[in-house]
Amino acid sequence: MTIEVSFELNGFGVEVDVEAHLRLLDLLRDVLGETGTKEACGEGECGACTVLVDGRAVNSCLFPVGEVGGTAVTTIEGLTASHGQPSSIQKAFLDRGGTQCGFCAPGMIMTTAALLTENPHPTESEIRRALTGNLCRCTGYYQIVEAIQEAARVGQVARS
Amino acid sequence: MGYGYHRPSTLDEAFLLADEIPDSRFVAGGTDLLVQLRKGEPEPSALISLRGLSELSSVETSKRMRIGATVPLSDVEVNPAVADMFPALAESITKLGSRQIRNVATVGGNLCNASPAADTAPPLLIYGASVELRDARGTREVTVEDFLQGPGQTALRSGEILTAILLDPPADGTRSVFLRKGRVAMDLPISSVAALAERDGAIWQRVRLAAGAVAPVPLRLRHSEAIVEGTNLDAEIRARARETARSEISPITDLRSTEDYRRHLTGVLVERALEYLAGEVGDP
Repeated sequence: MTIEVSFELNGFGVEVDVEAHLRLLDLLRDVLGETGTKEACGEGECGACTVLVDGRAVNSCLFPVGEVGGTAVTTIEGLTASHGQPSSIQKAFLDRGGTQCGFCAPGMIMTTAALLTENPHPTESEIRRALTGNLCRCTGYYQIVEAIQEAARVGQVARS
Repeated sequence: MGYGYHRPSTLDEAFLLADEIPDSRFVAGGTDLLVQLRKGEPEPSALISLRGLSELSSVETSKRMRIGATVPLSDVEVNPAVADMFPALAESITKLGSRQIRNVATVGGNLCNASPAADTAPPLLIYGASVELRDARGTREVTVEDFLQGPGQTALRSGEILTAILLDPPADGTRSVFLRKGRVAMDLPISSVAALAERDGAIWQRVRLAAGAVAPVPLRLRHSEAIVEGTNLDAEIRARARETARSEISPITDLRSTEDYRRHLTGVLVERALEYLAGEVGDP
């Protein structure tokens, strides 16, 4: 069964016919070629596939394509600032060593984007709690938490 | 692989689709179901999504609270009326999975999946919650206790949809709490306990205790309740309830815990929950 999905991806309108049993993750990576979003566990445990649907962080591996129509999806590709420059969150991850192998980074960064939108000044424990659903198997959590604190500080400066 | 996917916008349309498509299944957030399908559970011919049904998508607070079956857990979690009247339910949701999961998973789905470890079940049991079940012929109401019948087993009939969770506000002077222990934050609980009691002077009444992950279904601990009912909830009573709770559950050994440890832990959680209700500890 094929369904027609019309949605907004990183600010651009997309219309595509896809197999109904696919996941948002498959649509992004295999159909649209946006491979910044990663698949690791495929079961909603690791958060590598985290994207924003209407601003909310979700596991794209557990999100049916049948629910994508009419939504606005933001992936790691959509966070990049103008002229291909990294966004402030991405820059903070680079500056603070928040990426080691880098495989969890897109998911970590999308979770961070959702967190800082909702709570621009999170405490360390709020940051750690927000990262519950994102695993880093290099176990680089200290640097990741520091990167998020840095991103929050920079965001604060940018807004003031 | 290759099931169909339908997203009706009215209940009547959903009933009709279920009637027309043999071997179809209803789905809400899908965070359990999609994993089960991936792990090789027999595939349905089609999923019928309930997420487009506006009747199921809101929390209403009038005399009775009505939580629509498809309201995402993260919305229930931050609902001020839920936190105010049903703090044990709010706490159980806060502890459930990750934010990404809570943004799509639902209370209705947590119940329909009928895991013995379902986090929202013990709180719903102590609050005496019911579920609203609808099919093309009509509506019926079933208590959560009667709804949960075994691992993966519920009172849902073929073609029936769980449309809402119904909760009566507790009386003034009621205190309630939810405690859970798991190996790590994302994991299912080894044991979870919810407790509620109503204070009348020095005496505690309408005591309700429930536990999850320690029997084929989340269950009320009626023998332990009877120990506490009508007492002043002192240390001796709490210790007796702890021991009684250990004797009225039937835990298993699995990868998360041994049977013995589950039994021990459940007693500890019951005792701690009662300490909290009695005001012995500020923070459970």
